[in-house]
Amino acid sequence: MPSMLRSEYRKIVTIRTSWVLLITGPLLVVAGISGVILNGDLRDPVAATSALSHTGIAALTSLIFGILGTAGEYRHGTITDTYLSFPRRERVLTAKLTVYALVGLVYGLASAVTALAMSLIGWSARGYSFPVGKASTWGILGGGILVNVAFAVLGAGLGALVRNVVVAITAALAWIAVVETIMGQLIGSSLSRWLPFAASESLDEVRLSGPGGVLPAWGGATLLIVYAALFATAAYLVTLGRDVT
Amino acid sequence: MTDIQIRHLTKTFGSVKAVTDLSFGAEAGKVTVLLGPNGSGKTTTLRVLLGTVRATAGDALIGGQRYEDLSCPRRRVGALLDSTGFHPGRRARDHLRVLAAAADVPDSRVDEVIGQMGLADAAARRVRTFSLGMRQRLGLAAAILGEPEVLVLDEPANGLDPVGIAWLRDQLRSLATAGRTVVVASHGLAEVAQLADDVVIISAGQLRFSGPLAEIGDTGSALESAFLKLIATA
Repeated sequence: MPSMLRSEYRKIVTIRTSWVLLITGPLLVVAGISGVILNGDLRDPVAATSALSHTGIAALTSLIFGILGTAGEYRHGTITDTYLSFPRRERVLTAKLTVYALVGLVYGLASAVTALAMSLIGWSARGYSFPVGKASTWGILGGGILVNVAFAVLGAGLGALVRNVVVAITAALAWIAVVETIMGQLIGSSLSRWLPFAASESLDEVRLSGPGGVLPAWGGATLLIVYAALFATAAYLVTLGRDVT
Repeated sequence: MTDIQIRHLTKTFGSVKAVTDLSFGAEAGKVTVLLGPNGSGKTTTLRVLLGTVRATAGDALIGGQRYEDLSCPRRRVGALLDSTGFHPGRRARDHLRVLAAAADVPDSRVDEVIGQMGLADAAARRVRTFSLGMRQRLGLAAAILGEPEVLVLDEPANGLDPVGIAWLRDQLRSLATAGRTVVVASHGLAEVAQLADDVVIISAGQLRFSGPLAEIGDTGSALESAFLKLIATA
């Protein structure tokens, strides 16, 4: 296992895509929050949670990164080398899921730090003080980080299952759009707030109905982790017996 | 000294019988060439040997073991397959360093094989800038990284110019002379005549001939007529 993790780590840090995606997450956060800061009513506590919830936006890059980490190997033909190094394929999948969970953690932390820093700066620039002390602040940031981890693992499992980068990314984005909309209507905005591209005044995207509310992110993140586990399990069961031609 | 044994190997992909009841061996210290027309089952046989394809029946053993049962397989078997790819944005040296980490091989060995394959000047460049010949050399560098006793190569001379082919031949000969077991799949008669110690001829997934090159004819025209005659028998 250590040699597997080391080689996966080297695979990630030796290509430019990794660093581009790492920057993209925080950039998305900055883009999203600037809308809130410029246009939002910063006295309303909803604005604070809305700003911080953009941490979850970076989950998009985590998802794509997970997909690239598995399906990408099929695209470039490097999967043959991987299986020649480690013929026990279930171990390869375990290593990849572990590594990409860590990647999701890194992306999540980068985005959370960016979200918090930008909120603090933005709020004070407009003359308000950001509610740093509130428990919900840290709940929201923690949930956003967890969403990043879940999406990275989900992406890796999906990529291993589908083995095609374009199909996996398309399917994942379509799923998010559909599931998110349905979930928003069934469950209400408190959870839907935790989905990437969730309704946000600043992004002017799909508005989900329901009253606002500050709740912990754990419910939505747990659900995502369940999805991630489902994809990973399906990937284990289906890919083990496949021929690599 | 590790030999290879293919025993009653059968592989079907759906309704396609790629390999049927194939048996042959490859000995250490020799270059064994798997010769056959396109689609004869050479690549499938090698893939079963390397564990990327599962046999329908029979087995393919390396030193008496299946590939997936070898501990640290890259240190026992080196492979250069058609389907082995490179991430175009990765530098050549990093490509080898990924494999070195996987095989628990020190990074110093990476520099050794880079030198051996004449890639020292190109090692820092990204693989997308490599010519076909350079990619083959990188692939061969990857195959010998773990100092394996066995080398399995699928049509390694494809796309190489005469200089490249001659270079490859020298590399493989010296590896065999050093005691390694070298198995090469090819459809080129000229290469076979100059490279092989033993020849295994396959056509339509079945064995047509197995034995030393001398037995079948080691001059170009003798080999060609013997080969065409053997694969014609359906």
